[in-house]
Amino acid sequence: MKKEDTVKLISAEGFEFVIDKKAAMVSQTIRNMLTSPGSFAETEHGEVTFPEISTVILEKICQYFYWSLQYASGKETEFHIEPELTLELMMAANYLHT
Amino acid sequence: MCQELGRHIRNAYNMVLHKFGEKLYSGLVSTMTFHLQEISISIEAAQGGLFLEELDRKWTDHNKALQMIRDILMYMDRTFIPNTHKTPVHELGLNLWRDNIIHSGKIQTRLLTTLLELILRERIGEVINRGLMRNIIKMLMDLGPSVYQEDFEKPFLEVSADFYRAESQKFIDCCDCGDYLKKAERRLNEEIERVSHYLDPKSEIKITNVVEKEMIENHMLRLVHMENSGLVNMLLDDKYEDLGRMYNLFRRVPNGLSTIRDVMTSHLRNTGKLLVTDPERLTDPVEFVQCLLNERDKYDKIINLAFNNDKSFQNALNSSFEFFINLNPRSPEFISLFVDDKLRKGLKGVSEEDVELVLDKVMTLFRYLQEKDVFEKYYKQHLAKRLLSGKTVSDDAERSLIVKLKTECGYQFTSKLEGMFTDMKTSQDTMQEFYAAHGAELGDGATLTVQVLTTGSWPTQPSVSCDLPAEMSALCEKFRSYYLGTHTGRRLTWQTNMGTADLKATFGKGQRHELNVSTYQMCVLVLFNNADRLSYKEIEQTTEIPSSDLKRCLQSLACVKGKNVLRKEPMSKDIGEEDAFFVNDKFTSKFYKVKIGTVVAQKESEPEKQETRQRVEEDRKPQIEAAIVRIMKSRRVLDHNNIITEVTKQLQSRFLANPGEIKKRMESLIERDFLERDTADRRLYRYLA
Repeated sequence: MKKEDTVKLISAEGFEFVIDKKAAMVSQTIRNMLTSPGSFAETEHGEVTFPEISTVILEKICQYFYWSLQYASGKETEFHIEPELTLELMMAANYLHT
Repeated sequence: MCQELGRHIRNAYNMVLHKFGEKLYSGLVSTMTFHLQEISISIEAAQGGLFLEELDRKWTDHNKALQMIRDILMYMDRTFIPNTHKTPVHELGLNLWRDNIIHSGKIQTRLLTTLLELILRERIGEVINRGLMRNIIKMLMDLGPSVYQEDFEKPFLEVSADFYRAESQKFIDCCDCGDYLKKAERRLNEEIERVSHYLDPKSEIKITNVVEKEMIENHMLRLVHMENSGLVNMLLDDKYEDLGRMYNLFRRVPNGLSTIRDVMTSHLRNTGKLLVTDPERLTDPVEFVQCLLNERDKYDKIINLAFNNDKSFQNALNSSFEFFINLNPRSPEFISLFVDDKLRKGLKGVSEEDVELVLDKVMTLFRYLQEKDVFEKYYKQHLAKRLLSGKTVSDDAERSLIVKLKTECGYQFTSKLEGMFTDMKTSQDTMQEFYAAHGAELGDGATLTVQVLTTGSWPTQPSVSCDLPAEMSALCEKFRSYYLGTHTGRRLTWQTNMGTADLKATFGKGQRHELNVSTYQMCVLVLFNNADRLSYKEIEQTTEIPSSDLKRCLQSLACVKGKNVLRKEPMSKDIGEEDAFFVNDKFTSKFYKVKIGTVVAQKESEPEKQETRQRVEEDRKPQIEAAIVRIMKSRRVLDHNNIITEVTKQLQSRFLANPGEIKKRMESLIERDFLERDTADRRLYRYLA
């Protein structure tokens, strides 16, 4: 994967998830951050930090991004969510607008 | 190290989440307002030309900031704001800009004044910074349609109206019509171009309306009637470009085109009227018709090149021609004479397509005639003369015109004309058979060619006969008995006033010539084979030619230079009853064949004209009666006025029926028990089966 096509999402614990920019932009909030005028850390380095989102949740979110792209292009599969993750996942989703 | 956006977003998010949305929002409002007030001061401080630039720069900054702010406050924008029905962030940002900058006292007036001043400068020819204008105008548009309209467009339109009002007044006092229109067109295009470069496209129609009203609509009549350069002058001089420009400009304003059309129509009617009543013109019928054709061609071209082939103008042209052509009662006769001239010699050597062109043009004039039956009568006369003298240039052209007339007026109109052609052909065949059967016995004497004319088809002529010379009358008798032998039950009458003869003559010094003369002239000349001197009275007695014809005949033989095969004593111009005639031994001519006939169609003398007119009126009576009967048969009962209307309509294609005459015909039909008057209502008529 080329550097220009990827972004780095960093969890509260400091885990770095490198994913496709296209996947990350499924989240409106991340999309805004990356495309905002003016120079910020996000736009300059392509890195976004989420001090309030745990690694497990962030990982699930990244999976969701990819699933969402596949669903949009026709592969209608199911996205399984472990029940114990639901609350935190929903709060993160609210924040990320996705 | 740069700031982290995420942090701000998170903070904003948390604020809203934890019910501090109100605080966030009002904080936004107050901070932004304060900031904008500072900006307002700095813009006001800008000097002269830098004012707009400063405004533009600060606006660009503001937009960028707004976008960032919106990104940061996105969560508030999509949750808190809809819930509380507050203005979304971006729109809020624009409104605050509008209220604090654009509508701040000093800036508002200064902005408008600056913009209008720049536009004025551009109008008088200076170059201005269009890119800057575009940005500022776009800003106003972004702030909302009411801002653009109230803070710019409305005053812009008012100022423009004043500007163009003044300018048009200045131009119209010093320019001629063509120049003025050029300037108006230029200004119009300028404004359209201006809009495309830096104004809202929706303004185009509004500003063009202003220019059209001030420069064109307000001065329409003055322009059209301008002396020496107005519409009439343009028409006379075929100024296609100017006329086209006038058409394109005037079509934009109410009543513009109808103004042009009305002036053109009245001008056409006047010139047409002068043309058809000009006594000089009337002496030469062919010239007369050619002038009409030229005039029509001229206007056709104008409507084609300058008036966009506009149908309403075509109609105006047609109605004008119809109006003035019928002002002269001799128009039908003249048109027939024109055709006669063309078919005799005018179309000699002309290609087939060009012949068709001329005939088609003649047909357009024919259509304008109200008295088509008068035309028919003259055409028949002229055609008869052409056929009998063998003087038609092209048989195809003759037939082509008949076909056109048939298409236009129906079979009835042309059936007799076609009969004439048939007679000519049949006669040819008959002559061949005659000579085949009797050729041997006739030997080397005179040759006879007979055209047998069916009475109904040919124009009625009074049948006058004269005494033919012995050889001729013998020959004619032979033919008569041959013909009646093969066609029993028919009656033949010789029409000696319509024939021609070719004579071989030898004069005093041995000059030999072949003379082509009329039958009457032949009778006279042959007498001189047996006598050197003959008096008028002697000639009259021997030939039995009626006196007026004889006088004309002798005149053409003795008094016309170059054709005087006879000599007259005394040498006066007119023929007197005491005159004596001799063969002119001194006769010379460059040509071997000399034509002295008098059978060319000419425009009628006064008495002839009266006679023809009378015959036309007589012929109309049965046509009117037939129309009345037709209508009454289908309607059974009808009132007086409606009968008149219907009859007029039915006969329209042939002539304009006179209501008085229609009434007379109805009375006649009542007498003959075709109709009756209703006993109760005197104005109702009933058909009697």
